Amino acid sequence: MNVDLRSSPEPATPSAAVPAMSVVVIVYNDETRLPTAVHSVLDQTLRGVEVVIVDDRSTDGSYDVAQRLAAEYPGRVHAHRLPENSGGCGAPRNHGIQQARGDYVLFLDSDDVLERNACRNMLEAAETTGADLVSGLCVRVHVDSRNGKEVKWYPWLYTTTRTLESVSELPDLLVFDTLSTNKCYRRDFLLENGLEFPVGIHYEDLLFSAHAYTAARRITLIPNRVYDWNVVDKADAKSISNRRAEIANFTHRMEIHRRVDQLLVDRGVAELKFHKDVKFLKHDLVLHLRDLPFRDAAYRQEFAAIAREYLESIDPAAYDETEPIHAICAYLLRKSDWDNLLPAVDTLTNRNKVSAPLVERDGRVYWCAEHLDDPDDGDFARHVLDVTELGYHTKPVEKLFLRNELTEYQGPYGGAGGTVRLAGRITNPLGVVPPGARLTGELEFAARRKGVRFQVFRFPVAQLRHEGETIAWEAVADLARGLRPVGVVDAVWDVRLHLGVDGVRTTTRLTASEPGLATGQLPVRPRLTRLVADRIEPQISSRGHLAFRLVPDKKANALVERGIHGAPGRLAKSGYRKAKKVRKTLASGNTKIRLYHEAFSRLPVKKRLVVFESHLGRQYSDSPRAIYEEMRRQGLEFEAVWAYADKPEGFPKDALLVRRWSVPYLKALARAAFWIDNQSYPLKLTKRPETTYIQTWHGSALKRMGFDEPEWKLRSRAEQAAQQRTLDRFDRFLVRSEHDVRTLARAFRLQEKTLLRVGYPRNDALVRARETPGRPSVAAELGIPEDKKVLLYAPTFRQRGQRRFELPFDVERFADTFGDRYVLLVRSHYLNHVVLPPSVRDRVIDVSAHHDVTPLLALADGLITDYSSVMFDYALLDRPMFFFTYDYEEYVHEGRGTYFDLLERAPGPVVRTEDDLYAALGSLEEQSAKYSGARERFVADFGEYDQGHAAQNIVDQFFAQWRRA
Amino acid sequence: MTPYPYPYPPRDVFLVANSVNELGGVATWTHQMARLFTECGHRVHVVGITPPEDVMELGDIPYPTTTLYDGQPPSPGRARDASMREKATLLTSLFRAARPGGIVIVTQVWAMEWVKLADTTGLKVIGMSHEAFEYSKKTSRFRRVLKHYADVDRMLVLTREDADLWIGQGLNNTSFMPNPLPFIPEEPSPRTEKAVVSIGRLHDQKGIDMLLDAWAEVAPRHPDWTLRIYGSGEDEEILRKQCTELGLDDSVEWRGRTSDVPGALRGASVFVQSSRGEGFPLALMEAMATAVPCAAFDCAPGVHEIVRDGEDGLLATPGNTGELARRLDTLMSDKHLRDRMGETARVNIQRYTTDEIVRRWEELFGFLER
Repeated sequence: MNVDLRSSPEPATPSAAVPAMSVVVIVYNDETRLPTAVHSVLDQTLRGVEVVIVDDRSTDGSYDVAQRLAAEYPGRVHAHRLPENSGGCGAPRNHGIQQARGDYVLFLDSDDVLERNACRNMLEAAETTGADLVSGLCVRVHVDSRNGKEVKWYPWLYTTTRTLESVSELPDLLVFDTLSTNKCYRRDFLLENGLEFPVGIHYEDLLFSAHAYTAARRITLIPNRVYDWNVVDKADAKSISNRRAEIANFTHRMEIHRRVDQLLVDRGVAELKFHKDVKFLKHDLVLHLRDLPFRDAAYRQEFAAIAREYLESIDPAAYDETEPIHAICAYLLRKSDWDNLLPAVDTLTNRNKVSAPLVERDGRVYWCAEHLDDPDDGDFARHVLDVTELGYHTKPVEKLFLRNELTEYQGPYGGAGGTVRLAGRITNPLGVVPPGARLTGELEFAARRKGVRFQVFRFPVAQLRHEGETIAWEAVADLARGLRPVGVVDAVWDVRLHLGVDGVRTTTRLTASEPGLATGQLPVRPRLTRLVADRIEPQISSRGHLAFRLVPDKKANALVERGIHGAPGRLAKSGYRKAKKVRKTLASGNTKIRLYHEAFSRLPVKKRLVVFESHLGRQYSDSPRAIYEEMRRQGLEFEAVWAYADKPEGFPKDALLVRRWSVPYLKALARAAFWIDNQSYPLKLTKRPETTYIQTWHGSALKRMGFDEPEWKLRSRAEQAAQQRTLDRFDRFLVRSEHDVRTLARAFRLQEKTLLRVGYPRNDALVRARETPGRPSVAAELGIPEDKKVLLYAPTFRQRGQRRFELPFDVERFADTFGDRYVLLVRSHYLNHVVLPPSVRDRVIDVSAHHDVTPLLALADGLITDYSSVMFDYALLDRPMFFFTYDYEEYVHEGRGTYFDLLERAPGPVVRTEDDLYAALGSLEEQSAKYSGARERFVADFGEYDQGHAAQNIVDQFFAQWRRA
Repeated sequence: MTPYPYPYPPRDVFLVANSVNELGGVATWTHQMARLFTECGHRVHVVGITPPEDVMELGDIPYPTTTLYDGQPPSPGRARDASMREKATLLTSLFRAARPGGIVIVTQVWAMEWVKLADTTGLKVIGMSHEAFEYSKKTSRFRRVLKHYADVDRMLVLTREDADLWIGQGLNNTSFMPNPLPFIPEEPSPRTEKAVVSIGRLHDQKGIDMLLDAWAEVAPRHPDWTLRIYGSGEDEEILRKQCTELGLDDSVEWRGRTSDVPGALRGASVFVQSSRGEGFPLALMEAMATAVPCAAFDCAPGVHEIVRDGEDGLLATPGNTGELARRLDTLMSDKHLRDRMGETARVNIQRYTTDEIVRRWEELFGFLER
């Protein structure tokens, strides 16, 4: 059935059954791909489907193709043509809706395809739930990517089948999935609600989908993949949704947003706009902001004018729901503060970069000094620009990724053609680089492609000047002489500037401040041959960083391309991949485990070799450290190896330091006479019978452990047996009390003969500290004044959310209330971390980075904890303890359960709220006196073997023969 | 009860399993469905690939069965391939005899390897996985399901939740179909005996070790209650030893395997299930049909599909024996709660009656023809 709109529509043949579904396929100048789209409908597993092709007056043969398909599949494919080109997707789709006969309607673009089961799955969902609208997963298929890259479109909306009575139940659906194509609509629903696409404007999907969502009485979401959105990355003529560089598009987008907002008001769901505002700040605006560094001033001005107008309609509360940098960018754009906005966009693109000088005011850290005192808007400015929580102020210069703005580029420079002159300025946030610092600089050129980085080339930075908020620099580099690429394989070279501050190095990338700043070719001499390229030119990466690119010689390049894609190239590439694979296999865990068992374990055991490890190598701490230090103190003759996880800093210099899982580590473990550890050596390593494993363990238990934990119990018998084998490696297991015997030893199913009732070596120092008054040296290191008492806050590990641990109380309020009397030390679990604002400086101190908690315990005049095992150790000091159990029900009952009731036996006040905590902290002496009996019982119950001689006992028992005669 | 006149067309239905009569849940289900389909006027044929190791007595059955191999098929390799092609021809000839609108239901993925080679033109093929997604994931069946069921007309699992998980793995033709209730006892439990009942093989998967751990926490608070453990199996000895070590010999009764499940349930006031893995557990359905409230580890989507936590039973985090003990304690301490949940359970479980499930199958057959 071929219908031109000017002819009268042909009446439906009475015999043609009404199809369950109509798929409206729109096409404009896409004759080659149209048949694929249509066949994806004809090949559906659901048979009752018709195709309605609507051609937007193509100038190519699209309509002929459509007619041929209609002739080939009479009754199943229908071809229509608009009287004149509409220039968008709206008009043809609207026409399709009118022509569709199915109970349900779907939209498909001529360059995309439907998944085979899409119609059946949508129909099943629609009929079972009675939904007006069914939406499924869309997948963006990057058709010209090498590995068939696919990206799911907002997959979190489509993890499970879900039916909504109103879109208000899931605002994210309306806000994020604004496509019209991955959905199926009840046809009567479209007609009754007059649902049509707007015509003459881009982004018609946004308005249509918003309209459909808000009109639908019921919406069903299905996790099934229904729609493949084919994306062409390298296309010369980009499709509408890709051409966002154009102001016109942006104008359309803003207009559509305004219409959607109006629609939400009209439909009585204005509250959804808030969610849309948040998304606008986090996503829509970001897309455009990221382009700004690549656009000229005229574009920027025009863009800002359009954006500002819309930004005025954004709910200020929406700024709180975004990441700080989103809010900062939107705010600075509103203020047209270009000097601060462009650096902020740099951080938006390079998220860990610090691009503003930052300023500290009243104990908080702000993005910039401007706007904070604005008489109209200052409060809001302070709110948005406050970046204290990001913790920039707590990081040393080597941990900061500083913005380095390239301000000058001259190439070729001077007489020699191969020289380039560069100048720029590096941001100096909060004066992290002090005025008197010794500054050094070096430009580094390295090939971008991994695996071909055979060599880096360096050039000195001749001038460096401290200018307060920035460090200005200038360098001249003779690339023609100094940069020698191989050619072909290393076509792109990234540039970095390493800044030395009093010998500490921080690395920056060069950000071009304006488009067109860096241009001009320079000669280079590739090692391969100058035939492949003899010039190099600057280019700016998508992240805004300066790089250089070999300019390929066209003729030579064709030859090279042929080589790469021909037989020799294939051979070379497969050889390279094989070599890479072999290297990967050799370095893999399995190979190492085999090396350990089959090679190292056959070597003789070294009689005096001891391998120490604490918390999987994360720290030099705890009982292994205490034993090690006792062995050194007694001058024993032995070979010591300490394992570290990341960096060897902080580990003892008089031991051999090996990285965990390295070959030397495995070799040491295989040959050691003793393993001394507080957690676990790699589970897959079998211990040799000649080796003695002293497991010191790292704390008595409140929470259920080992085979008393649900996850352990749930394992199959075979898995439990495998777990048991790793525990049976322990030859000795240290216990502090009979409580440990009843809990830990039972939970690990240890035999009585392995138990060593000597107490914890780490706690010897605490027993001594109780008897010797006076502050340990760590007090001076932390700068704690003599007249202030020290409180230590050491909560247990919280798994929820990110690594970032939110303190459960207002730390500024604590400092204001108690700052004159107490210094609060905060120690988060090693898997969490905290950020303290500058306002509490010297009154609250983060001590999480200290390897060893014992000196901190010895220093503290009182302890605040919740469920951490530190309570059992600290009790030995007989000082006041506070239990701040704000999430007791959740932690104790919902979790894995506890061995005893903390509320009954806690040797100090158990409080649930911040106010109660502050009330209890009022007088340490009072609490100390009140709970002295409870503390005594607590120590008797949980620390009876901690008598201060644990390390000594262990040395006597295992290492006495190593004493020098 | 089959409605009259029966609103659905008669069809040829083939149920293809690893074995026609292998002891276990799948064969029980297969023959229950075969009987129900036959009663509805369908022409049913049950096909097995090989004879089973553990035979289940089928009794008189009103439909034919065929087993493709006399013994085990040759081990994988050329001989297996050749034999598979040969047996597939046999399947093809069975399938050819079907009237239009015929249905092939493959109950286990291994059998699909043969069905795939046969000519199923004109028939709709339904593949099934009778276990929870997460459980399947730990076995070799996971990859095989993804491979061999990729192109069937519909792949069926036990619950919506399981179906969504398979869809997430790219198996886009997946839907779900619950198992029917095996029986509705005439006489519900009076819930007067102070007895908690467990029924299941004494095998690691059923987690009786965890049940004993939980019982050790709850028993001291209820000295007048007993735990009756029905079932036998390879773990009996170690479980009895564990029971003795926990000092529970006075409150635990080892009842062995029972042929009278309704009777065992009538003597229960609470039913407990402590499995490590389940699919769509019949034991819970049977207990609920007998008006006995359940306490169970929520170890599979099928479990919370059957038991509505807090409404007609109580669920606990898998492996958390302390929590299971608290759930048991709640039910054992409160007769009114037991009565309320037990009666609610008996009503709620009606959504899985055979009539309802057969209707859903008929709707599916019709849907696949559209």
